[in-house]
Amino acid sequence: MAPAALPAGAFPLPGKEGMTNAASVPQRRRPGRDGALAEWADRRLKWLLAAPAILLILALSLYPLLFSIWVSFINYDFTVPGHAFVGLKNFQQVIGDPVARWSLVVTLILSSASVVTEFLLGLALALAMVKPFRGRGVAMSVIIVPLFISPVIVGQAWALLLQRPFGPTNYLLGKLLGMDVTISWLTQTPWNFIALVVADAWQWTPFMFVILLAGLTSIPQHIYEAAELDGVEWLDTFIFITVPHLAPMMLLAVTFRLLDAVKLFDTIFMLTGGGPGTMTYSSSFYLYTVGFQQFHLSQATAGSWIFLAMTAIVIGVLVRRLMRVEAAR
Amino acid sequence: MRKASRRRRRPFGRFVLIGLWLLFVLAPLYWMFITSIKPSDDYLANPPVWFPSHPTLVHYTAALFAYRGFQGLINSLIISSAATLVSTVVGTLMAYSLARFNTGGGHLSFWVLSQRFLPPVATVLPLFLIYRSLGLHDTRTGLVIAYAVFTLPVTVWMMLAYFRQLPPSLEEAALVDGCSRWRAFWAVAVPLAAPGIVAAMVFAFIACWTEFFFALILTSRNAFTLPTVFRAFLGFQGAQYGEASALAMVSLAPSIVLGTLAQKHLVRGLTLGAVRG
Amino acid sequence: MAGVTISALHKRYGAYHALRGIDLTIEDGEFAVLVGPSGCGKSTLLRTIAGLEEISEGTIAIGGEVVNDMRPRDRDVAMVFQDYALYPHMSVFNNIGFGLRARKVPRDVVKTKVMAAAALLGIEPLLARYPRQLSGGQRQRVAIGRAIVRDPQIFLFDEPLSNLDAQLRDEMRSEIKRLHQELRVTMVYVTHDQIEAMTLADRIVVLKDGLIEQQGSPLDLFERPQTRFVAGFIGSPKMNFVPVDVSQDGLALTLEDGLRLLVEPGVLTGSRRGDLILGIRPSHIAPARETPRRGHVRRTIRVDLIQLTGARSFVTFMLGRTPVTAEVGAHDVAAVGEDMTLDFDLARAVLIDPATGRIV
Repeated sequence: MAPAALPAGAFPLPGKEGMTNAASVPQRRRPGRDGALAEWADRRLKWLLAAPAILLILALSLYPLLFSIWVSFINYDFTVPGHAFVGLKNFQQVIGDPVARWSLVVTLILSSASVVTEFLLGLALALAMVKPFRGRGVAMSVIIVPLFISPVIVGQAWALLLQRPFGPTNYLLGKLLGMDVTISWLTQTPWNFIALVVADAWQWTPFMFVILLAGLTSIPQHIYEAAELDGVEWLDTFIFITVPHLAPMMLLAVTFRLLDAVKLFDTIFMLTGGGPGTMTYSSSFYLYTVGFQQFHLSQATAGSWIFLAMTAIVIGVLVRRLMRVEAAR
Repeated sequence: MRKASRRRRRPFGRFVLIGLWLLFVLAPLYWMFITSIKPSDDYLANPPVWFPSHPTLVHYTAALFAYRGFQGLINSLIISSAATLVSTVVGTLMAYSLARFNTGGGHLSFWVLSQRFLPPVATVLPLFLIYRSLGLHDTRTGLVIAYAVFTLPVTVWMMLAYFRQLPPSLEEAALVDGCSRWRAFWAVAVPLAAPGIVAAMVFAFIACWTEFFFALILTSRNAFTLPTVFRAFLGFQGAQYGEASALAMVSLAPSIVLGTLAQKHLVRGLTLGAVRG
Repeated sequence: MAGVTISALHKRYGAYHALRGIDLTIEDGEFAVLVGPSGCGKSTLLRTIAGLEEISEGTIAIGGEVVNDMRPRDRDVAMVFQDYALYPHMSVFNNIGFGLRARKVPRDVVKTKVMAAAALLGIEPLLARYPRQLSGGQRQRVAIGRAIVRDPQIFLFDEPLSNLDAQLRDEMRSEIKRLHQELRVTMVYVTHDQIEAMTLADRIVVLKDGLIEQQGSPLDLFERPQTRFVAGFIGSPKMNFVPVDVSQDGLALTLEDGLRLLVEPGVLTGSRRGDLILGIRPSHIAPARETPRRGHVRRTIRVDLIQLTGARSFVTFMLGRTPVTAEVGAHDVAAVGEDMTLDFDLARAVLIDPATGRIV
């Protein structure tokens, strides 16, 4: 360890006595050097810092995925003993299952309907909220509340509203439209689809809203001022100024939301239970029933790999985009 | 020649939209709230009861104790806190490594980020099998590490954005001053990134608190979390409206409070830092 | 001895070759200024001395000891950054004392040293404040204080005055010079401002495209530049460059428009003839005097532009087809469009080979 105190007089004193270091200290002291371990750690620090995260992800994400590849090629089933290799049988079973195919359709319908609705509503809200007004902060706080609620609770809440005979929805609608409404929102097609989209939109419109609002507020004000001075109409301003500026943000929001929407599970679980029958099975819900209600685990695994493969491309594209945006910062 | 009278478009439409939306947001929450305090006799009243004349707390006690909601609450609290802690620490270290040293080129960050988009169903199935063989099924520990990994991308990316914002000259000054790289990280970078760390913790906590799917599969009678308790109520066919609503209110409160407090950082958290709030 | 010796230093960032072979010796106690245009590598060079950048090839030695693989904290250097780099979450006192505490210096010693450094820089009243409460000049002093208090072998300055306004810059420049005089420690200073270089340096090192173009004392570089770049870089306002054709006998210069200037024998330096560039400083062009001076050439020109700076004026006119600026007294010229007779001091002018940029 280095000596803690400097030789006396080595430090320059204020005023006339400007002591020079060279004159009074013939030999410079070396600053403290740590042990070899500390120096080694310092050099390798970037990997040491990243190691815990890498290990965690390897253990709980990569390893399970690799394991599941194996599982999908064997027979892993609580109802049938043994782990025999079965080749592509699991995959064929999934592909051949009409419920699987229907669940894909449901997933597509629900996710696109939800994302479109959320996008339009979110955009309208963002446009409405972009100019400051009194109470805007409070409104903001209320609007974002649904984002912090568990999706099962959202499902529960809407079930309470829509369920017959307990929910007040039919009563209110009846009063509004002046006629008796007897829709069975949770069990009648197409109303149950609408219910699912409404519940999803209730929760996730703020997601779009927040992102689009951030995008809108980042557009410099003076561009609009110039347009106003030039006498440009509101609609043209929107199409030719707002939209181009907002386009990257819109794309980001939509892709993000879409990737989350296809995983739809919780709300379906609570709101319709997949029913009636298998009418409202999303892909995730279908795989859940195969794996944990019928216990055909390897079949479910095979199915989830198919599902993963389908979304992988979109994931790859979105992540690349996100990283480019970050790098450009 | 433009008419000057085209000025001053009235903002009326805006406020109607906002007002309607606020109503739409609050309605289910309000209904759930009064259901939780409504005595069962009022359930099937027609016209519906908008505010009960004799509010009761009996559903709360039932939900918390008869339906073991309290146990779920405690489990959720422990699991979410522990997972948040692990995730934030691990994530902050990784984020610093990525931000300052560009570790692993773009490939490492790509891999970490893409974890966020993995469909849970793909990982939870094998994880279930692995946990069963390791004896981690239905344990708090098991869920904690699963949640830690599950929230890692968000933590890493929020902190990455924060660290990138810090001018490197501060840490360089520390290095020249006599710090090792680790000390420069700990004494300079971390204190300055503190707001980001807090925000990351809030969002990680909320993510764990509200998560359902992993908990459903990986826990059972012992380590079950609050959201899984709702399984007992099965919204579309159950009749325990009061208990379900009561439990929902209990679950809602902390996450809404936390989320509102951290809303300044919301955009960054939602988009993994790609967009500045 | 705490000089800096750099041998055959190369620094590459992937394909980009930032430093292409630097050989430089800075004596102990010397004030060396690295100067050059953006992207020349001066900051990179400074950072390799500090240890903040790794080098690709070559050696750096501080005080005779090779420090290539040494971490910054072990090199015993202090650095003052362009954006001050003060720790925002620490008080001024703790900012200054941070390096000492990192080296486990006892508290009371830290206190003494910090107080002494603060006294030296006149910032004692600021010790309890935080950086955000300080002005730019105060922050810079704190940054310097942080460097002084460690009593390092070498001081490094990375464009420390760029963020200050002009007046403050002059003040701080004097402070830094005074500091060097008192402390007599080796200082390496990076700037793009040649005035700072001229006023502060014992030795100026001009860098261009990752190589040392020329080094020497300020007067050396001012009076005996070796390349057009150095000639144009040092000295303000910039040296004038006029394309000329030098006659074989060295007695006449022909300008672009055919105009001939007659020169006394022996005035033009060097032996090169033909198409060259004449470099003459604005301060070497003066209003014509009664008796013509030796080595001067007299011409009458028409004034195109006048820029008054107080006591002096910069007058711009055409010589041949090139705009040329002369520095004259404020009262020596009245109006644009006027005719003016000037004496050009060709003995102090230089001739440049247009192909190589070197002075001939």
